[in-house]
Amino acid sequence: MKPLNQKAERVQQAASQGQMEEVRAMQTVTAGCATTFDPGWEVDPFGGLAALCQPMEADLYGCSDPCWWPAQVPDIMVNHPNWDEGAPNAAKDWRALGATYPTDAET
Amino acid sequence: MQLRPRGLTAALLISAAGAVPALASEELLKNTCSTCHTAEENGLSRISGQRKTPEGWMMTLVRMQQAHGLEISAEDRRAIVQHLADTQGLAPSEAAPFRYALEKDPNAQESFDEPFASMCARCHTGARGLLQNRTAEEWALHMDFHVGHFPTIEYQALGRDREWYKIARTEIAGYLAEQNPLETAAWTDWQAADKQPVAGDWVVMTDLPGIGEAYGKLTVSGDASPYQVSGEFVTADGTAHPVSGQMNLYTGYEWRANLDIGGTAYRQVLALSEDGNSLQGRQFDRSNDALGAPLSGARDGAGSVILGTVPSAVPAGEAQVQVVGTGLDGLDSSAGEAAANTYGAALTLAAEGNGVVTFSTGGAEGQVAHYTSLDSLKVEPEFTIARVGGGSEEGPAAVPAYFNAVGMWNGPDGEAGTEDDVRVGRVEAQWTVANAHEHAAHMKDTEFAGEMQASGIFAPAVAGPNPDRPFSANNAGELTVQAEAMGQQAEAMLIVTVQRFIDPPIR
Repeated sequence: MKPLNQKAERVQQAASQGQMEEVRAMQTVTAGCATTFDPGWEVDPFGGLAALCQPMEADLYGCSDPCWWPAQVPDIMVNHPNWDEGAPNAAKDWRALGATYPTDAET
Repeated sequence: MQLRPRGLTAALLISAAGAVPALASEELLKNTCSTCHTAEENGLSRISGQRKTPEGWMMTLVRMQQAHGLEISAEDRRAIVQHLADTQGLAPSEAAPFRYALEKDPNAQESFDEPFASMCARCHTGARGLLQNRTAEEWALHMDFHVGHFPTIEYQALGRDREWYKIARTEIAGYLAEQNPLETAAWTDWQAADKQPVAGDWVVMTDLPGIGEAYGKLTVSGDASPYQVSGEFVTADGTAHPVSGQMNLYTGYEWRANLDIGGTAYRQVLALSEDGNSLQGRQFDRSNDALGAPLSGARDGAGSVILGTVPSAVPAGEAQVQVVGTGLDGLDSSAGEAAANTYGAALTLAAEGNGVVTFSTGGAEGQVAHYTSLDSLKVEPEFTIARVGGGSEEGPAAVPAYFNAVGMWNGPDGEAGTEDDVRVGRVEAQWTVANAHEHAAHMKDTEFAGEMQASGIFAPAVAGPNPDRPFSANNAGELTVQAEAMGQQAEAMLIVTVQRFIDPPIR
């Protein structure tokens, strides 16, 4: 079998070097980071960045539309339907993508 | 259990700034929420079956605005949060294990057992769930809420490889109903407890990132939220930073303040102790919550208390140390001269070599180390993340990371890194970053991810695809943070990652 992307290559490397045990789950990363292994939003299964989509904007809508990181990235499917308004191409229009939690909603 | 309001009046909600909610709390809740929530025996549907922190209730109200079209003024929203946190909040002991989430501690790491870890804490902090108490029915509905709002939850990794919904409805809802039920002895007791007044003078100690370790005094005045707060913080060199602002007190102990400290907006998330005599929590830059530090406080005049010293350690020789606390008249010190002052006691030292000066009075004890050499160094935190940001008016700002170098002695066993090591205190260090591994070196992360500043603050680079990097990668990076001080070196791990577009009070 031949790895098709960087992440698969990393997994293959880890397996060949007996390092699969080093794959780290979410709770070993700072609290609140999403590491669901698809990959995560902040970190990859190895607790690093190498296997993440880069730049993340290239694939942002592909994953945020269907709500892949519901606690970190606004989903357009249900909760934040207008988040990408005026920004049809995330890689080009990333400056239009804002934070969704209102700044005046402090306790 | 009685969960309905107990004599809360409109007076509790009146803002000194004139932001007066239109109606008394219970009436306001009904008027705002009963369009959708029906009146039931114990109160409004859904709402009456839950208890949360002030932040939890605020997030719920924001969700009602964003997902369900609730229209509400900021004043009324805060008034409802006040009412619900006061009448359906968490007891101090219930919130205690998870305060790191309320404090937005950027270095906290969680560890939970399965299946809770991968069912809940794979997307948000476990604390976000465990800072709530609900009826069994409400916990079950909470699982359904997740499927409704985030329908792909069952298709993500760690969702699709199991019967997610079945586990959520049975194991997780059941676990949470048992672990965090609506009715608890802790909450019943806290509701019945005499709440201590928060007004008065407080001696406080913290660290102002980029400025230095600091002590100070805060005066709280008023009878109800928002209280007025004034005072000052003083750094080790004697520079005073005036403080002014407001504080809201929720549930009788949850202190939330927005303060101007020397021209910078800070926020405090603190807990008032049950006896009303101490404060504990975290203070951070309001626009950049990664830049913060623990804060402790003692009620001025409430016995003898030592919070610590500023600075936390001193090079040997002549030194001025502020012992921060209260009731420190007659402080008995193993070296030097102590003189009580408004922040505790000033200690004048002329110490030689490495050693520890101890001091005590009235049952309060403390110490400060003086040094000419260190046996080892450590960087705190050992691991954290920063985020690229900025570069646009809309997008989230960059999130920096804040490191400190702490000097250590080997202790009796003469070996570094063992349990008997002695913590000397914070020391000045030279800071650099290096690529963490081969891939980082290949991507030249040190060149792109940001800059390490002399203060130990890492300032991440700008957001967005960078055409100067392979694949136009973001300015993300995996770095080793290196500190050097007095001939000793230490390292920490830093991941510079991408922005967070949803950043609520509880992550």
